Amino acid sequence: MTESLHGQDTAMATLSLNALRKTYPNGFTALHGIDLSIDDGELIVVVGPSGCGKSTLLRMLAGLESISDGELAIDGRRVNDLEPAERDIAMVFQNYALYPHMSVADNMGYALKNRGVPKAERRRKVEETARLIGLEDLLERRPRQLSGGQRQRVAMGRAIVREPKVFLFDEPLSNLDAKLRVQMRIEIRRLQKRLGVTAVYVTHDQVEAMTLADRLVVMNGGHIEQVGTPMHLYECPASRFVAGFIGSPAMNFLDARQTHGTLTLPCDTRIAAPSARDAIDTPVCLGIRPEHLLPVDEPDDTTLTTRVELVEPLGADTLAHVRLEGQDEPLVARLDGVHAVAEGDTLYLRPDADRLHLFDHETGRRLDDKDIHSCPSSPSSHLA
Amino acid sequence: MATFQRHRLTPWLLLAPQLVIVAVFFFWPAAQAVLQAFYVEDPFGLGRTFVAFENFARVLASAEYYRALGITVAFSIGVALGAMALALLLAVLADRVIKGAHGYKTLLIWPYAVAPAVAGVLWMFMLDPELGLISAWLGALGIDWNHQLNGGQAMALVVMASIWKQMSYNFVFFLAGLQAIPRSLLEAAAIDNAGPWRRFWTITFPLLSPTSFFLLVMNSVYAFFEIFGTIDATTAGGPGGATRTLVYKVYEDGFIGYDLGSSAAQSVLLMLLVGLLTLLQFRYLERKVQY
Amino acid sequence: MRYRRPGLDIASHALLILALLAFCLPVWLAITAATHDQASLYTGTAPLWFGEQGLGNFHAVLSEPVARLGTDVARLLFNSTVMALGIACGKIFIAILAAYAIVFFRFPLRRLCFWLIFITLMLPVEVRIMPTYKIAADLNLLNSYAGLILPLIASATATFLFRQFYLTVPPELLEAARVDGAGPWRFLKDILLPLSKTNIAALFVIMFLYGWNQYLWPLLITTESDYMTIVVSLKRLLSSADNLVPWQAVMATALLAMLPPVAVIVLMQRYFVKGLVDAEK
Repeated sequence: MTESLHGQDTAMATLSLNALRKTYPNGFTALHGIDLSIDDGELIVVVGPSGCGKSTLLRMLAGLESISDGELAIDGRRVNDLEPAERDIAMVFQNYALYPHMSVADNMGYALKNRGVPKAERRRKVEETARLIGLEDLLERRPRQLSGGQRQRVAMGRAIVREPKVFLFDEPLSNLDAKLRVQMRIEIRRLQKRLGVTAVYVTHDQVEAMTLADRLVVMNGGHIEQVGTPMHLYECPASRFVAGFIGSPAMNFLDARQTHGTLTLPCDTRIAAPSARDAIDTPVCLGIRPEHLLPVDEPDDTTLTTRVELVEPLGADTLAHVRLEGQDEPLVARLDGVHAVAEGDTLYLRPDADRLHLFDHETGRRLDDKDIHSCPSSPSSHLA
Repeated sequence: MATFQRHRLTPWLLLAPQLVIVAVFFFWPAAQAVLQAFYVEDPFGLGRTFVAFENFARVLASAEYYRALGITVAFSIGVALGAMALALLLAVLADRVIKGAHGYKTLLIWPYAVAPAVAGVLWMFMLDPELGLISAWLGALGIDWNHQLNGGQAMALVVMASIWKQMSYNFVFFLAGLQAIPRSLLEAAAIDNAGPWRRFWTITFPLLSPTSFFLLVMNSVYAFFEIFGTIDATTAGGPGGATRTLVYKVYEDGFIGYDLGSSAAQSVLLMLLVGLLTLLQFRYLERKVQY
Repeated sequence: MRYRRPGLDIASHALLILALLAFCLPVWLAITAATHDQASLYTGTAPLWFGEQGLGNFHAVLSEPVARLGTDVARLLFNSTVMALGIACGKIFIAILAAYAIVFFRFPLRRLCFWLIFITLMLPVEVRIMPTYKIAADLNLLNSYAGLILPLIASATATFLFRQFYLTVPPELLEAARVDGAGPWRFLKDILLPLSKTNIAALFVIMFLYGWNQYLWPLLITTESDYMTIVVSLKRLLSSADNLVPWQAVMATALLAMLPPVAVIVLMQRYFVKGLVDAEK
């Protein structure tokens, strides 16, 4: 099912990251020991807020940043001290980094030229790749004569033509407009599967991350928060951070107190806790996704009474920004279809008792871990 | 900044030519100058005696030195003010007419390429007491022009030739500065009911101040150093030292008078002065001197 | 939006044209004087129109040894060309390499090297003229092209400008090149130099003018007329103890001394202006 571009067999490529650390000379530690193993042909998306260390991690994989401690292996071979060119990787940069004075063909062929590939073969490979990504007619152009989307394609082509073991993407779509971004996202996914190349993709855009990834790596503050399939992270976020980061609009969080199987919300609403822990009046953090707040006609003691502050009709659904009655907690509810709510209305919302998330009040870790295995997509145990 | 990290020898290979040249022709002579300034060489160049600050004391006590300093400062002010005022006027006019601004730039830029010595010779001919066209005009106005005898006129000759040459340089910068001023600012001022004259003094002129400061320094540096060519080719420091600048005095004392210690001490003082000027510029502009 | 005032426009053009004419006057007088013979020149004030000689004076100074110089002006032009080209090319060559090392490498003592080089910006050759002369003499560089060129290369103007330019090169370009397997020399040759073309042209113009117009240093270091430059020679032509100044020959020589740098600045004006304005940054 995987297909080699130029007819040869693509080499298997697995990546293993073993306690990778990055400490800068000024003492700042950007990464505190990253463990991860990546399968052949897998598309891993690393996602996190800016400054979480995701770009540093990618640049360490590329060999553009030195590795302070730990081991990086490609196909079982330690590559810590190899130059980028010796690691057999290709990278697509955020601003594309095309050589402005070279034609598209020369840009794509530069790595091959440096490797001493004969001119005729170089030409053949470049043309083949250009056909694959629809650049045949642009080969003699200079980068500045291309549109943003075309430049992005050239950057992709430059990576593909070398048949690397690993593709590295550093926020490659962030300079494109929204429509083009969706289109290129699909194309990257298609190409990566077709070529069967292992890929690591860094982005801060969680929608991009969800739609592209085989597995997602969520990073925060130089640590990995969670690794798993997009759906697993959505359904069973391991921490409050992941829960808040994945999903749009973001998950609602409410302070609650748990006594055995019952959660008491600030407005005295009582709902059944997802896990009947042995707890007496313990503070917890309750997470409810906007789509799991269901509107009901009559209030009872399992509903939240809210006042509507703002309505965003999106067509397929409607976002209601509300505040808990008598409280200051802002909440967002996603209501199906076009909903006849208006600013100032009172809205009764019932949390879907089966889709609640409980987090430790102090550490933010998920509390109902015994339930993790009942999540629809169980975590793949790739954590090395 | 992305860098090559694993290459130890390469950067030194790349730097070697520059470092060698700078060491041999800059640091060594500069150190020599400093050292020499503390010695007195005997007239036959056979030996020298350490005299501590005596050379400096001698230089700083001589009226001639202060005269040269005064002349240098006068040249700086004359050239800077003259060349900048003229250039600013012409640049504002060229910026105003829009159509043809580029053409005027092409036609005004070339005097910058003329060597200071050549500029001096061209003006000396125009002001030649016998043949000069301008000296003839001045004669008709009742001014008896002879820069070979009259010190003030000799200075005027040097200043005129320098203004003629420096104006084009200033013009290029002022025009670029004017064209870089956002139109919207002037439009806002116009809406606020400021007339052209007020617009110039309240918007344009303040916005040009970094350019003006830079040019002030550049013109002063010109008057300190490059003017030497003009002076030597036309007045040779004369008449009676009326156009002897600091650099000219270093040259005269060192190469004609063979007073090496004094010449070196003057060099060191000049270094300090120029260093101060440069620092001033770095401080206020964080930009660089290009001489 | 600018209020168009036709009257003011005409006045502006008039003033500018007047200024242009005034700026051309010295050169015009030089041209007319250079076409006269000495006798007709000394009949009154300088002539405003061409004389009988045509290009005769130019031909004379170029082809025959000139009194007081001991050589012909063609030789002086050649010397000036060698010096200006040597300084321009030499400076650009060492500057490209040094700036490359300072911007694109990290190595011990890098900051020190940076300061050692850039402190030279502060002190022009005129300030350290005496000891430099002594060193040139010790190195046997008097009356030689190397002596004319090398000491004037020892300033970091060009290095500074190249550094400024290199700092604007996106870092990703270097990273992409490293991923593409380019080492330092390849990156310099394949990527950086092609990108620096305009800057090299701009610097060439500035440095050519700088070299051609040098005065004090060539004056000191050349005692033989075989190595004298044309700019320095003018003074010797002028220095008449008792004779009349041969203005026609002086002006012909002065015009020849102006011609190459003015031609360079006019032909390469685009680069020159860019270089100047960049130099200020």
